[in-house]
Amino acid sequence: MKRLLFFAVALLCSFVASAQISLGEKGGVISGSIESNNIVYFNDKALSTPAPDTHFGSNDFIKVDYTLDRFSAGIQVETYLPALQGYEIGLYGNQFKVVTPMIYAQWQDKSYSVTLGNLYDQFGNGIIFRSFEDRQLGLNNSLLGLRATWNLGSYLSLKALYGRPRLYTNYQTCWAGGADLSLSLGDMFGFNKGSLFLEGSYVNRYEKMSAIASKNLLNLYSARINFDVAGVTFRSEYVGKGKDFIEGDKSGKAIYGEVGYAKSGFSFTAMGRMLDKMNTPLTMDGIGTGNTLNYLPALTRQYTYMLANLNPYQINAEGEIGGQADFYYSYRSKTNRYRYWNFHLNYSTYYTLHSGQSKSGARERLWQDINFDVERQWSKKLKTTFLFSMQEWNPYHGYHHRTYVSNIFVADVQYKFDRKKSLRVEAQYLLSAEHEGDWVAGLVEFNMAPKWSFFVSDMYNNGRGEIGTKKNYYSIGGSYTIKRTRIQLSYGRNRAGYICSGGVCRYSPEYNGINIAITSSF
Amino acid sequence: MKKLLCLILASISIFSLSAQQLPDVKVENSEGKIISVRELVGKPLIICYWSITCKPCIQELMTILDQIEDWKAEADFEVLAVSVDDSRLKATAKAKSQVFNKDFICLFDANQDLKRAMNVSLTPQSFVVDKSGNIVYSHTGYTPGSEQELIDKVIELSKKR
Repeated sequence: MKRLLFFAVALLCSFVASAQISLGEKGGVISGSIESNNIVYFNDKALSTPAPDTHFGSNDFIKVDYTLDRFSAGIQVETYLPALQGYEIGLYGNQFKVVTPMIYAQWQDKSYSVTLGNLYDQFGNGIIFRSFEDRQLGLNNSLLGLRATWNLGSYLSLKALYGRPRLYTNYQTCWAGGADLSLSLGDMFGFNKGSLFLEGSYVNRYEKMSAIASKNLLNLYSARINFDVAGVTFRSEYVGKGKDFIEGDKSGKAIYGEVGYAKSGFSFTAMGRMLDKMNTPLTMDGIGTGNTLNYLPALTRQYTYMLANLNPYQINAEGEIGGQADFYYSYRSKTNRYRYWNFHLNYSTYYTLHSGQSKSGARERLWQDINFDVERQWSKKLKTTFLFSMQEWNPYHGYHHRTYVSNIFVADVQYKFDRKKSLRVEAQYLLSAEHEGDWVAGLVEFNMAPKWSFFVSDMYNNGRGEIGTKKNYYSIGGSYTIKRTRIQLSYGRNRAGYICSGGVCRYSPEYNGINIAITSSF
Repeated sequence: MKKLLCLILASISIFSLSAQQLPDVKVENSEGKIISVRELVGKPLIICYWSITCKPCIQELMTILDQIEDWKAEADFEVLAVSVDDSRLKATAKAKSQVFNKDFICLFDANQDLKRAMNVSLTPQSFVVDKSGNIVYSHTGYTPGSEQELIDKVIELSKKR
């Protein structure tokens, strides 16, 4: 009954909510969004994971904001009826759940702001602190507390926050907070050909620990220098971390550096990062990917093609060193804007940091990806993309000297029949003598703009690898969009693996089922 | 829960419908400076949210780029390409934006403050904002051809002057 009610309300809201709501000139504006992700699970003898007992999962979010001039406030309600299979929120009991509403009230003035309630923020690159929501991962580590920010023109900006962190559906008994300062030296000294920033942050976490831990208070700090001038960018950050029980009561550190150059259609970026004992959970009592105070994403290319995403890199916060480089070049015909070439080359590699991370004591390769793609728009109607990626990954996180290599080939062709109808076809092949062996995949997508889209896809393992499965993963579906409301319906068998968003991954088991997703905003 | 949902639905239903204003949120521009997005109000705006890992978002931007010269001959407006890539991919997004930053105003919403304030649940999502900062049109998702609705709306706004 609850499910039916939610469906009915969500659907009705979706249609009602086709415009924003004004309460008159002085009454403010109400806006919001609705998201409902539902799966009906079926038993499938070919899969090793049985369907959940409920045969149903539903993750739903309703957010409503109110704005009046410089004041804004909002509330978000989440329901899990129960949580979709594989979402780590289920680690805390997979029962039906309505999460304590998330709320905020904010006053935003020209030079200062004050926010009370659930806070989302990030200091620097997030290596010492990031509170954020990622619904795809089922992750929300916002702080329930107070934040204040203050700017002195463009010269200085300061912010401070403090609160109780949220871990999945509950707020923890620990406290976390800190302050962040940014000085614009470029503006201070009248340097107007670029920008130069000197920045620093301090973060702490207070948790009553057991007697074996050395301290209840964990301190983290970071110092940063960033500049942009004449197309050249430079970013750097040094992070220090106090002794943390999770890292064997040892202190940690991190170094991040990034350089880039860009000029009319050409750009180059290279970044490197070293992490040393940087796991920083919200609480020692928690488990799951969401139990993190800081943000340590994998700095590698994240793909949108199925086979290129089969074995994504997962960071090793206890110790890793590596980086990636990107090169882009775009050439557009001067006589015909509809014809262009885009070239992209990317390389990333990571190694263990400590001798204790590998059995041999030597530095082991954790990951390497050499990839490029070439996009060619031939005419108004035809566009093609070719991608190649050679990925090497270590399934033992560097403990054993063993890596698997995959060579992935993708061809993507799009053809526009007229202004509204188009067809897109993907053909993919993964060539590997190791692990699961070869994979082949394909996708056909037909679009009728702006409302309808249909797709059918298939992914097949040929079973010739060390643990080849000969399994077929198929999917068929479509979506209907009207303005800001989108309804998607699909059916298929989904492979187990890591679902990654923003470089953070969670494991999702395989399943067979019907997926219904509704999103809308107003 | 049932009561709460019904209350929200009832609240939505009783109010009159009109335009939402572009929120006053700070984002980073392509020069690395923090600006208020309200500073850009003054002529009609097409706002397109994108990220490096969102293929249809980039497809939408590239299609608009194909046609921008023809569109600008019909109306005076700006395109804001708002990247929601976080610190992991912001540098890559900045590099990629070189392809279109001559024709578009590129903004970087790494902490997703603007995305949250505009209630963008998924990308691509596009908006049309009039010269007073009112959001007059929005669309979720991208299929080739749906960009035409954006320029049609901008031309309609130009005719209202």
